[in-house]
Amino acid sequence: MERITIDPVTRLEGHGKIELFLDPDGEVANAYFQIPELRGFERFCVGRPVEEMPTLTNRICGVCPEAHHMAAAKAADAVYHVDPPRTAKLLRELLYSAFYVTDHTTHFYALGGPDFVVGPDAPAAERNILGVLAKVGMEVGGQVIQARKNGHNVIEMIGGRKIHPATAVPGGMTSGITEEERVEIEKIGRWSIEFAQFSLGIFDKIVLGNDAYKEMVLSDGYTNRTYYMGLLDANNKVNFYDGRVGIMSPDGTRVGTYAPAEYRDWIAEHVEPWTYLKFPYLKKVGWKGFVDGVDSGIYCATPLSRLNNADGMATSLAQAAYEKFYETLAPKPESGGKRIVHHTLATHWARLIELLYAAERMVELATDPEITSTNTRVLPTEKPTEGVGTVEAPRGTLTHHYWTDERGVLTAVNLVVGTTNNYAPMAMSIKKAAQSLIHKGQVTDGLLNRVEMAFRLYDPCFGCATHSLPGEMPLQVAIRNSDGEVIELLKQNC
Amino acid sequence: MADRVPSPLPGEPRPLAGVRPRTIVIGLGNPLLGDDGVGWRVADEVEELVAAAQAAGRPIPDVDIERLGVGGLRLMECLTGYSAAILVDAAEFPDRPAGEVRSCCFEDLADFAAGHLDSAHDASLRTALALGRRLGASLPDDIQAVTVQAHRTDEFSEELSPEVSAAVPAAARAVMELLAGPAAIQVQMPKSAAIG
Repeated sequence: MERITIDPVTRLEGHGKIELFLDPDGEVANAYFQIPELRGFERFCVGRPVEEMPTLTNRICGVCPEAHHMAAAKAADAVYHVDPPRTAKLLRELLYSAFYVTDHTTHFYALGGPDFVVGPDAPAAERNILGVLAKVGMEVGGQVIQARKNGHNVIEMIGGRKIHPATAVPGGMTSGITEEERVEIEKIGRWSIEFAQFSLGIFDKIVLGNDAYKEMVLSDGYTNRTYYMGLLDANNKVNFYDGRVGIMSPDGTRVGTYAPAEYRDWIAEHVEPWTYLKFPYLKKVGWKGFVDGVDSGIYCATPLSRLNNADGMATSLAQAAYEKFYETLAPKPESGGKRIVHHTLATHWARLIELLYAAERMVELATDPEITSTNTRVLPTEKPTEGVGTVEAPRGTLTHHYWTDERGVLTAVNLVVGTTNNYAPMAMSIKKAAQSLIHKGQVTDGLLNRVEMAFRLYDPCFGCATHSLPGEMPLQVAIRNSDGEVIELLKQNC
Repeated sequence: MADRVPSPLPGEPRPLAGVRPRTIVIGLGNPLLGDDGVGWRVADEVEELVAAAQAAGRPIPDVDIERLGVGGLRLMECLTGYSAAILVDAAEFPDRPAGEVRSCCFEDLADFAAGHLDSAHDASLRTALALGRRLGASLPDDIQAVTVQAHRTDEFSEELSPEVSAAVPAAARAVMELLAGPAAIQVQMPKSAAIG
């Protein structure tokens, strides 16, 4: 076979590229996945005061500014060795829970939902939120908009602005909320619980009630047995804002938990010659290639990971939904004793369970007696040095690591964004999906969408702040025969 | 469940005192990503030109000016309550020189990859507008786009590249001409062109 070199192209013209190599029998032998990358963030930050980071990093991502805001605030707390007052932590988590309701709602109805509710092989023009609403009723669209409006209002009440919050600072929050605002937020939380339950009902009826979809969810083409990462509270339940980072093996054994500051003891990065992206993996297990299983250090960090990693959900309705999830998709525990769902499309269901938890958590926090206290900040007094802040972004564990001089001016920055954790699993998911859709050199119709589905479920953050990635991700898939010649080139939006 | 969404969606940009402006100019982009921030810079310049025109007593429609880094549903939500909108954004049309300024109707842009008009995490603006209209939201009938061809948008920087920076005044003038009326639209976009 002619040797083909895949260059780690410097600019991918704003779109993703997948190269599929077929063996002499026309089956997929290898898949290489390249995506655009944003560069130079660390260089950009050096020389800035660390307290700028919560509002600066807001702007990295137009989709989850709240996640960066919180991770940055926590890292800045750590840099200054300061522990915010309880009310500040409650407020941050309350804002963050409202953000989760908005973000997960949008993803399900606009991105993930279309594949199931309308169908993965439906024409592209119908595979969007309008197609979903045509099936479930246009009035649901009003509810989706209402959910988003509610979330933005809560974020504005606590964070000062609708989308890019500005109130988290080193040591706490710049201000608290009034009783009037608290009442409004509690009301929104209760409404959100009903909406989350309604959304789970849609999934139950339309996805689980459809044998073809169920078969697709359970198919090998969308199954990866990897390790799973997520933040855990003191009871090993899912928490988005704080906790220790947990790792669960694919055989249902908890590998361990670590404080966020210890991430470098646990995670290393593997380099491949065909991409500038690096692939994180678990040091304890080691890099064994793009394979899954207990002997491979590949892990993922997604809503599904968070559920797999935890012993349950910390709120009662979400816990009931969690139990139903495992009874349906993983009735038998793995050898390590825990039930694990390895079916990646189930991430969309996991996302709705998290939506319910976020809504319940909003009510819990909004009814905490200390939520309206005015004690929202401790002023830092210690010399700043170095700090790590970790939260769960909707699309994975997000870590901000800052180093400063004695004035609190940044000397170095390292970010591990949610999607970074998932590069290797995404590459594997793409290969598996392609393997199930290409046989004897014949490409099944709808390959492009099915392959995109394989990584869209990770809700990836590819240069999400640039303008050059649209709702339908620009994607080029080149299929090469065993001589390395391109036999088919599929494109969307580029 | 509600049968319809009240129109406009509350919580959107507040009107000027007294009369609600009918036009909104939105500079789209990320000011931390080099040329991706050009929309914001153009919005800054338009704000100064509008203030100067008003001070000089020249007729200028009531206009709100915003800077946003959003697309899809969020962008649609910000357009509610206006009868006209002008969106300013960086573009990456194939084989065009950096700094080129173009104006066109939003509808004339190709049906994909329309800059910040789309988002990787929710609906495209086109879909979002259709949704909003179906739900009864009051959305502009007249949406124009002014674009500036970018050089680099994938590297963190608060600076525009020289060609793009030099194009900001021309882009701002294009916006002002659109504000003056539809007869002033300069260049019709070919339907096959795409952003990004």
